[in-house]
Amino acid sequence: MYQVEASKALLKPRLWARRPLGLRVPRNVVLLGIVSMLTDISAEMVATVLPMYLVFSLGASPLALGAIDGTYRGAAALVQVASGFASDRWRRPKEVAGTGYAMSALGKVALAGAGNTIAGIGAIVAFDRIGKGIRTAPRDALISLSSTKEGLATSFGVHRALDSAGAMLGPLVAFGILLVAPARFDAVFVVSTMFAVLGVAVLFLTVQGRPRRAPAPTEADDAPSFRAAAGLVRDPRFGLLLLAAAGLSVASISDALIYVGLQRKIDFEPAVFPLLFVVTAIAFMALAIPFGQLADRVGRVPVLLAGHAMLFLVYGALLLNGLDYAVLILSLVALGAYFDATEGVMTALAAAVLPERLQASGIGILITVVSIGKLVSSLAFGALWFAIGLEAAVLAFGVALALMLAIAAPLLLRAQRHPLHG
Amino acid sequence: MDRRSKRALAVILALCVVLGGGYVVHAAFGPSRTTTDASPDAVASSVETPVMVRAVDPANPNLNGGVFVVADGKVRRRSKELACERVYFAAGRGICMGVAASGVDYGATVFDRRLRPEHSISLTGLPSRARVSADGRYGAMTVFVSGDAYLESSTAFSTRTYVLDMARGETIGQLEQFEVLKDGARFDAADFNFWGITFDPADSDRFYATLGTGSHHYLVEGSVGARSMRVLRDGIECPSLSPDGSRIAFKSRTGEGRWRLHVLDLASLADHPVAETRSIDDQAEWLDRDTLVYSDGTDVFVVDADGGGEPQLLVRDATSPVALRN
Repeated sequence: MYQVEASKALLKPRLWARRPLGLRVPRNVVLLGIVSMLTDISAEMVATVLPMYLVFSLGASPLALGAIDGTYRGAAALVQVASGFASDRWRRPKEVAGTGYAMSALGKVALAGAGNTIAGIGAIVAFDRIGKGIRTAPRDALISLSSTKEGLATSFGVHRALDSAGAMLGPLVAFGILLVAPARFDAVFVVSTMFAVLGVAVLFLTVQGRPRRAPAPTEADDAPSFRAAAGLVRDPRFGLLLLAAAGLSVASISDALIYVGLQRKIDFEPAVFPLLFVVTAIAFMALAIPFGQLADRVGRVPVLLAGHAMLFLVYGALLLNGLDYAVLILSLVALGAYFDATEGVMTALAAAVLPERLQASGIGILITVVSIGKLVSSLAFGALWFAIGLEAAVLAFGVALALMLAIAAPLLLRAQRHPLHG
Repeated sequence: MDRRSKRALAVILALCVVLGGGYVVHAAFGPSRTTTDASPDAVASSVETPVMVRAVDPANPNLNGGVFVVADGKVRRRSKELACERVYFAAGRGICMGVAASGVDYGATVFDRRLRPEHSISLTGLPSRARVSADGRYGAMTVFVSGDAYLESSTAFSTRTYVLDMARGETIGQLEQFEVLKDGARFDAADFNFWGITFDPADSDRFYATLGTGSHHYLVEGSVGARSMRVLRDGIECPSLSPDGSRIAFKSRTGEGRWRLHVLDLASLADHPVAETRSIDDQAEWLDRDTLVYSDGTDVFVVDADGGGEPQLLVRDATSPVALRN
């Protein structure tokens, strides 16, 4: 019953199907995608207007929010590992993910009801971040357990496409509301709450909590131990995968710094800058499903490696003396393609290798390792930029990425060969 | 999904649509203002130079306020059209930065001698500082921008500072793209932020500004034509050159989000605090050779530049003071 064919208009493959394949995406995956979309609409509505709200309605210094946000990122990363393990231990990925979604929804209610002090908004932003940390690993485990092993990358692609559609729609909905009701931020918060509540309702009322690949519930003492979850790190195949993921993430310049770099290279009109994000987001949304399918058909490791190679295009643009709009758009599309061919595909690789009973724990560990890798990358790139200049820093990262790709390729191929328990 | 779940979902969906939609419709017809009709109050003083300000509604200080001129202890409204968060004026042209009428975004208006709008520029950030060179050739605007949250990128704030051609009403440069030299060598980092330009009264191509990077706030001196800057000194924010070009009034950081107004002598590079002891987050303006005028966020004050005397209230319910010296 979970193999119901999803909406064809949205999901039908065009580019890669030599014969009409019909994209069979598990119903649970589409539903989880819709939950993420609704939640992202809600989150992006608030993220879009929060700076304006803080300054315009509360008279706060804009610097206050930056400090608020940075503080809780670390906390969210740690929560990911814990929530992944809890979800495996209790065998309740849906409920653990639901707790994360519900926390974010509660945060929106608080914002609509009482978000009129800086400290209050700080607490709400923290709540939202932690909610996000809680839900990610169990949700990805649910996606994985709802899919066949052959269709994992496609499933993650479908989910990411729906998720990013929400991120695009959120700002549009927020601006739409402010256009008909200028400066009425309260209306934005109320509608954001409605989207968040709908997301939680769709999750609890429609998503199947024990999909087909989920381990059958047996006696309580059969639940995976913490030792087993922690032992994943030492497992030869998953360990190799983590190593490769860590190395690749350290050698990849973060998107935030890429935008800063591109911005130095071209004289933007003030109004153009936000469009950079939109171009990348559209490319990401459009390519998520085709790249997932490609990964399932021709192999996840080649697609993952090719995706990282897309970054060479972006690095190349950062090395040019001046940028015209054609090169700029090309590199932004390459950036979107890079995200599609890496994050979801890497999760699919891990999900295929991980035992069913430890899916969420493993994915939680992977996400945390990658986010630590990204942090190291950002710090290193910032330091290099300062020490030897932007171009030299980009060159150094280009060389590092080429090296990492050469090292990661055999590791990933070996990790993929034999699943842990299968 | 069983029938009960379906029914529950339908009920929740209907409730959300009715509540959310109803609230938006209610808000659309309810009070929704981006501007205020508030009028400032002049306080009797011996100040001779007329001062342009923008009005503040004390109950809602971030609504766009009208542009007024205070002279001889009287306040006169100068424009029906302009409503700003920040205003500046010199040599027949001015800049008014504020919330766009929709309340969705920000915009700047370049206006003429009679305060009639000439050009409008869309801003993608919160207005912070505005300046016009003494000859009216160049303008400068600083805005706060937030990194968008797409794709997990940072949501930290940064600033962006634009140079305008006032006659054409267009941006001609962005300080982030100018070259910076420190001790003769090229200086660059990912976290560079610039704010608070002040133009040399004698040569509008020359300017000073603040460069923030790491925990440093450098005073930089630059040239619009050469598109370059060099670092002069640490610890100086929001510089403001005196009319004779010999001194710089600035914000000296005393703690997180706290500043004290100081004056720097450019010949000796020595500085001293002024008599205002409260924290002031403003780019000070020189009223005349010896006096600073600034705002604490709700009212406008004057204080001696030499560090003596006491701060005096000049205009109540106003910010963004501009000395109209000629």
